[in-house]
Amino acid sequence: MRALERHRKLTAIWSSEPGFRGWFSTVNHTDVGKLFLVTAFVFFLIGGILAMLIRAQLATPHSAFAGPEIYNQIFTMHGTIMMFLFAIPTFEGLAIYLLPKLLGTRDLAYPRLTSYGYWCYLFGGSMLLVSMVLGIAPNGGWFMYPPLTGPIYSPGINTDFWLIGITFVEISAMAAAVELCVSILKYRAPGMSLDKMPIFAWYALVTALMILTGFPPLILGSILLELERAFGLPFFQADLGGDSLLWQHLFWLFGHPEVYIIFLPAAGVISTVLPVMCRTTLLGYGWVVAAAVALAFLSFALWVHHMFTTGIPHMSLALFSAASTLVAVPTGVQIFAWIGTLWKGRPELHLPMLHILGFFVTFVIGGLTGVMVAVVPFDWQVHDTAFVTAHLHYVLFGGFVFPILAGIYYWLPQVTGRKRFFRLGEIAFALIFIGFHLTFLAMHWVGLLGQRRRIDTYLPEDGWTTVNLVSSVGSFIMAMGIAIVILDVVVHVLTATRGPRNPWGAGTLEWAMIIPPPAYNFASLPHVASRDPLADDPDLPLRLARGEGYLGEPREGRRETLMVDVSSGAPEALVVYPANTRLPVAMAAMTGLFFLSLLLKFYWAVPIALAGVAALAWRWVWQLGRSVDEAPAPVGHGITLPSALGADRSPGWWGTSFLLVANGTFFGSLLFGFAFLWTVAPGWPPPALFEASLGEIAVGVAALAVTVAAVESAVRTNRAGGRPLAALLAGLIAVFCVVAVCAVMMARIPAPTEHAYYATLLVLTGYALFHALLTGLMFAFLIARVRAGFTSPSRRAEFTIVSLWTKYLVLTGALVLAACQLPDLFT
Amino acid sequence: MTDVMRIVLSPLVWLASFSAVYGLNGLLCGHGLVDAAVGSLSVQRAILVGAYGLALALQAAILVGLHMPRFASSSGFVRGVSVATGMAGFVAAAWSLMPVLTTSLC
Amino acid sequence: MMATLLALSGCGGPLSMLDPAGPAARDIATLWWVMLVGALLIFVFVLALVVAAFRRPRTAAPTHSPRDEAARERLFVVTLGIAFPVVVLLALLAYGLVIGERLLPRDEPSVVRVDAQARRSTWDFTYPGLGRTSRNVLHIPAGRPVDVAITTADVIHSFWVPRLAGKLDAIPGHINVLRIEADRPGTYSGLSAEFSGPGYSHFKFEVVAHDPAGWADFSEDGTE
Repeated sequence: MRALERHRKLTAIWSSEPGFRGWFSTVNHTDVGKLFLVTAFVFFLIGGILAMLIRAQLATPHSAFAGPEIYNQIFTMHGTIMMFLFAIPTFEGLAIYLLPKLLGTRDLAYPRLTSYGYWCYLFGGSMLLVSMVLGIAPNGGWFMYPPLTGPIYSPGINTDFWLIGITFVEISAMAAAVELCVSILKYRAPGMSLDKMPIFAWYALVTALMILTGFPPLILGSILLELERAFGLPFFQADLGGDSLLWQHLFWLFGHPEVYIIFLPAAGVISTVLPVMCRTTLLGYGWVVAAAVALAFLSFALWVHHMFTTGIPHMSLALFSAASTLVAVPTGVQIFAWIGTLWKGRPELHLPMLHILGFFVTFVIGGLTGVMVAVVPFDWQVHDTAFVTAHLHYVLFGGFVFPILAGIYYWLPQVTGRKRFFRLGEIAFALIFIGFHLTFLAMHWVGLLGQRRRIDTYLPEDGWTTVNLVSSVGSFIMAMGIAIVILDVVVHVLTATRGPRNPWGAGTLEWAMIIPPPAYNFASLPHVASRDPLADDPDLPLRLARGEGYLGEPREGRRETLMVDVSSGAPEALVVYPANTRLPVAMAAMTGLFFLSLLLKFYWAVPIALAGVAALAWRWVWQLGRSVDEAPAPVGHGITLPSALGADRSPGWWGTSFLLVANGTFFGSLLFGFAFLWTVAPGWPPPALFEASLGEIAVGVAALAVTVAAVESAVRTNRAGGRPLAALLAGLIAVFCVVAVCAVMMARIPAPTEHAYYATLLVLTGYALFHALLTGLMFAFLIARVRAGFTSPSRRAEFTIVSLWTKYLVLTGALVLAACQLPDLFT
Repeated sequence: MTDVMRIVLSPLVWLASFSAVYGLNGLLCGHGLVDAAVGSLSVQRAILVGAYGLALALQAAILVGLHMPRFASSSGFVRGVSVATGMAGFVAAAWSLMPVLTTSLC
Repeated sequence: MMATLLALSGCGGPLSMLDPAGPAARDIATLWWVMLVGALLIFVFVLALVVAAFRRPRTAAPTHSPRDEAARERLFVVTLGIAFPVVVLLALLAYGLVIGERLLPRDEPSVVRVDAQARRSTWDFTYPGLGRTSRNVLHIPAGRPVDVAITTADVIHSFWVPRLAGKLDAIPGHINVLRIEADRPGTYSGLSAEFSGPGYSHFKFEVVAHDPAGWADFSEDGTE
């Protein structure tokens, strides 16, 4: 087969539907990645315009530009958009677009999930934009502290838009995180062992793991606050056994890792781009990986440093102060590894390099002021002043926007296949750099002079007039720079100067393909033997196009790729992807209906939406199966591999594992909240403990035990070639007993609106009930699968997946049972 | 996957012990053990210092394990990175829990 | 004279934490100046390293032998990346912890206690033992440590007198105690420093520090 013929065949198999219709049915990572990035950039512009409004308001004292009601919406939405609708989705888009190309494979692990995540992001983000257009946007600050945001002090719908809209958007972050973890660990080019992974993949893996464990506390907090607002469950009301500090803990348990979730991908961009700009390789690759891992963990123990002024015990402050200073060490390792790379190679001042230099200047200042605010006494003074606003913009603009701009200019030729024509980028960089530092250096100063964050106006005698004017002028210079970047990118996309295939002389695989990239990425998958495969073998693109790699022979219109061993990268199984489908957009719309009916309090529509989601999910999973056994198939290089459907650890098993890590973090946060309220909140103990019932305990424990025994038996019977209908049916009945126990317990909880204790028990039992119903649905699905002949010893993936969920139900169900029943038994 | 676990184990244990000591201190401060003392030694301080020692011992055990042929990775790269994160975990425990020795309790 | 210098250098102002008028604020202001000098030195050092990388004369092609690579890693990663920040941060952390200990509200015979309760747009102060209250003006004796017990009647607020001390939050259901002290008699501006919705920008109060005679008058005079 000639290269051109292979290209045509693969394009026919992999390409999306042409035109506008293709947007809704594409599941291709290149398409969805671009959609993510463009949408995120639109949100960046909206957030930027809001920032300009803030600076216009603060430019002079006594400003009457916007009243406090509007101004509060503006700064709340500025923070919310930049954090949730720009920074995180930009990472998702970049990772979704780049990773399969960097890793030498054809797509991410779950193409339909990629698309579903995008639509959730778009729909959720649009909900927030609608609220802004209608003038009912969230107005309690992006950190949403109750009681200000509670039902008493914010009765309007503004806060609900935030809680519900952001939770909707978080689905896309969780989906992307699960998918990226599995893709990086299992979907690489053969031979790419952990030590040969491109450094960006390490950063993306660490970031994805952080999203999985960092976002659940926020999702839990949002659910609890919405329950308080909608149904009066008093989790955050001090007079009813709640505590507003619980929100702060949950919020910052998410909020601090969030900063590193934003910084780490940008650091990954720098670690990728900087060595290429210096014609060398990254200094201390292993050290940088270790530093990124250490940074990720350290960042989870810093959350209290946002709460230094809340009056927590002195030693707790000291512990978090110590941990907060420590985080500078792994950051320092990375900074100096990059400087060492500059020294090692021959740095050249291309446009991406200019932005990297902008990063160095800005981020180092942000890091130094960060160490300052980690020192508790200093934080007592500057907390909630403009000094902190300035610090966080140095960290986020320096640590994210500059690297992303470097990345945009570095990878733009890869996306478009064109080269830059005008030299607008350099002018834009100068304006952004000067404007940024003018704006935010001044803001440090005015913070030290006592200017608080979030004020809408000030007096001439406060002595802040000149500094604020300088700051506002700087911000408009910066805005012009950003506008020129957009102009530059648009001109680049529209001018038709074809560029060389590997303009920067990079060594990574995303340059070893036709540009702009074809839908299938690589005509055949490379065998990787080093960290820079393209540098070792400049002819690699040609050889891959000729089909000399793996999977060079297109088969029966199937989208094929390989799954590899986590450590060694040895090929393990053959994966066949689902093709174009509108299922993801339909699923996202149905999910949106669920959130919308909660927002508008059309509670009658909630069950309809949930049933719709369940039905679509059923269809989603059903499509993956095969009614006949797949024979092992040759994949090239003389290797024959079995289908992934027969693996004990199938793609779905891996995805479930990571999803359960996130779910477990959510449940753990809920238990933490319970313990926190019990020990710290005023108004405890509650009027009466939940009355223990030995009957419920006995039935609950027995039913959980039968459930897990049934699923294990079903796994064994299927593997032995039998049809495990009896075991599955027994499991289904046992699961319904669990449902019944949960329902009885929920009904017995006295007056959940009168004390946070009862409210928390209601959420705990509700959590167990939900998981029991979910597991029941899975048992029913398996029964349908067995009856339809979709299972066999070599099509067993679904059994191990349901087994994981069942074990999770048993573990959490037992804990819920204990948390509800034991306190009464032991007092 | 075992290799990935080797890399993250030590920082994960550090995070758990750090949160445990923080929670323990909050609990002890909230429940009036501040003034209890045996001789000149405050009971609360003794409990916290004990937890500090335990956290360090755990980290040391992991570091030793990462060097032992039985538990170490077969990949040289993973060995190097896991020892580096192991050291990071040990230093993090020693550093971040140090205030239990020096600082006022509540 | 110090005040004039500060005003000239742009550090003055009724709400400037760099123009301290009490021991706590002074300790923190000193901490800031020390950290600023340290940060500037580190910043210049790092940037010099970056600039030097561009201006380094290159006689031969860069070498990539394992020995060179290991030497570079020792210099940049171990020495500059690990040892250097560890030493600096340990010193800073120790300094910060010592100051933190000094600022704690400890039992002293001369301490005056006042209760502060915030609600949106007003601060109410009560003086236990004196049987008095005041609204939006806190009266304290100059030169004596004062413990302010802070709480709130509605949402979260924060009690902050930048020239006297750091801030502490007023949280529903909790009482937090902040130690403040004014060196000299005078009036000091205070702010509510946690966003509390519309009206936040103008949510301010005053602290009046009395000389001993004035404080005696205030303590005895039930009518103010």
